[in-house]
Amino acid sequence: MHRVVVTGVGALTPLGGDADSLITALNQGHSGVRPLDTPWIGSLSSPLAAPVTVSVEDHFPKLRRLALDRVAQLSLLATREAIAQAQLDFSSEAGLDCGIFWGTGMGGATTLEHAYVESLLHHATRPRPSTIVMFMANSSTGQIGIEYKIRGPSFTYSSACSSSAVAIGEAYTAIRSGRIRYAVAGGAEALLTQGVMKAWESLQTLARPDPDHPETSCRPFDKHRSGFILGEGAGALVLEEAASARARGATILAELVGYGNSTDAGHITQPDAAGQARAMQQALAQAALSPGDIHYINAHGTGTVVGDVIETQAIKAVFGDVAQRIPVSATKALHGHLMGATGAVEMVVALGALRTHTAPPTAHLRHPDPECDLDYVAEGARRLATLDTVMSNSFGFGGNNAVLIARRYCT
Amino acid sequence: MLVEEFGLTPEQVQPESRLEELGVDSLATVEFMFMLEDKFKLKMTGEPVPIKTVGDIAREVDVMVKQQGISLGDGGTAS
Repeated sequence: MHRVVVTGVGALTPLGGDADSLITALNQGHSGVRPLDTPWIGSLSSPLAAPVTVSVEDHFPKLRRLALDRVAQLSLLATREAIAQAQLDFSSEAGLDCGIFWGTGMGGATTLEHAYVESLLHHATRPRPSTIVMFMANSSTGQIGIEYKIRGPSFTYSSACSSSAVAIGEAYTAIRSGRIRYAVAGGAEALLTQGVMKAWESLQTLARPDPDHPETSCRPFDKHRSGFILGEGAGALVLEEAASARARGATILAELVGYGNSTDAGHITQPDAAGQARAMQQALAQAALSPGDIHYINAHGTGTVVGDVIETQAIKAVFGDVAQRIPVSATKALHGHLMGATGAVEMVVALGALRTHTAPPTAHLRHPDPECDLDYVAEGARRLATLDTVMSNSFGFGGNNAVLIARRYCT
Repeated sequence: MLVEEFGLTPEQVQPESRLEELGVDSLATVEFMFMLEDKFKLKMTGEPVPIKTVGDIAREVDVMVKQQGISLGDGGTAS
């Protein structure tokens, strides 16, 4: 089996236009949650969302934009950052040996909604001819290939909130087995449209807005938590076979050492501690690590009443006596729930924790829930003397659980 | 319209300019024909016409305009 390392990261999130701004903002406790500035926001019971506020479409010429939904634009920008950091040029031979592993929950939600509104409400004679190729789930995957000339195998994963964690895990598996040498892996989501937000609202999983401090409305593991804030963004990693990365003198950011993937087979929305625990155990077993070896967990931690208790139970089931000693944080309180992008973005966060020796906080946790009794880093970012191994959890509707483990790279 | 909608420069938009070389692929060409239909209230025949250059688009629109007896309001030919 080959060792797999990370040589590039990229993130475009409600907390900024690159991975560094995300890590800095989290550690400083800045929130990306705000009232959405759009004419239809009054049709929702809560105006809150976590939008990407840096310019996105300005990065693309008008002609290129004709075939790029917002989700593909976010995908391309996060990927660009990761590839630039890795200093790889896939238009060379390397592109033949590179795979694309990309996750998204909905694909081009803006395009689809626009086409429906125009066709069904405004009786337009026809939607735009590029509608299909902009909303299809694999649109970003194809556009990443086109933009960066990546010509190896490509895969699109859609498992709701675990989509991009699965994408990273499968890319890791493909390099580990020797199928490919490089991979661009991650995911994107851009679903802050009126129809999609109303559908989410209807599901009763979104946070009640705090009247005085709306930016603090999402409170994972807090007794008064009421759900999550929908967000948008993209996260990307460049993964590479370790010997090849060393040979070309690449800066190695971390090593991926474990991936677990399980299915609850219980309920389409209700999470299951046993299913989550299986995924964590698989990842630990693959990494040949024991529970005490994990120094930080980036929780799925959405801030729903049920979800946070179940995840706490799952962590306790896997980590036993050491569970209380591991810092666990839910960064969705600040960057929002980025759906199909969230697994990749939170992996970028976990790698940032490794790099900075700092566990980011679980923000807005002021009234601990007795049923959520782990160390959630509620006081603010915490510098740790030992932070060499990190786990990131991502659990999706449908009952998919994906868990990734990375550690500081040593030859 | 090619300048406004697609961000091309006036120098690029010459009758003999090949659309492919301007980065206007088949999808973008269809998109542009739809825009022209909407703007000039035209109805394209739907018959496949080989459109390779900016001039081809202009000719196609001129034919449609004549057939359908439409005045182009803002002057001259469609290009």
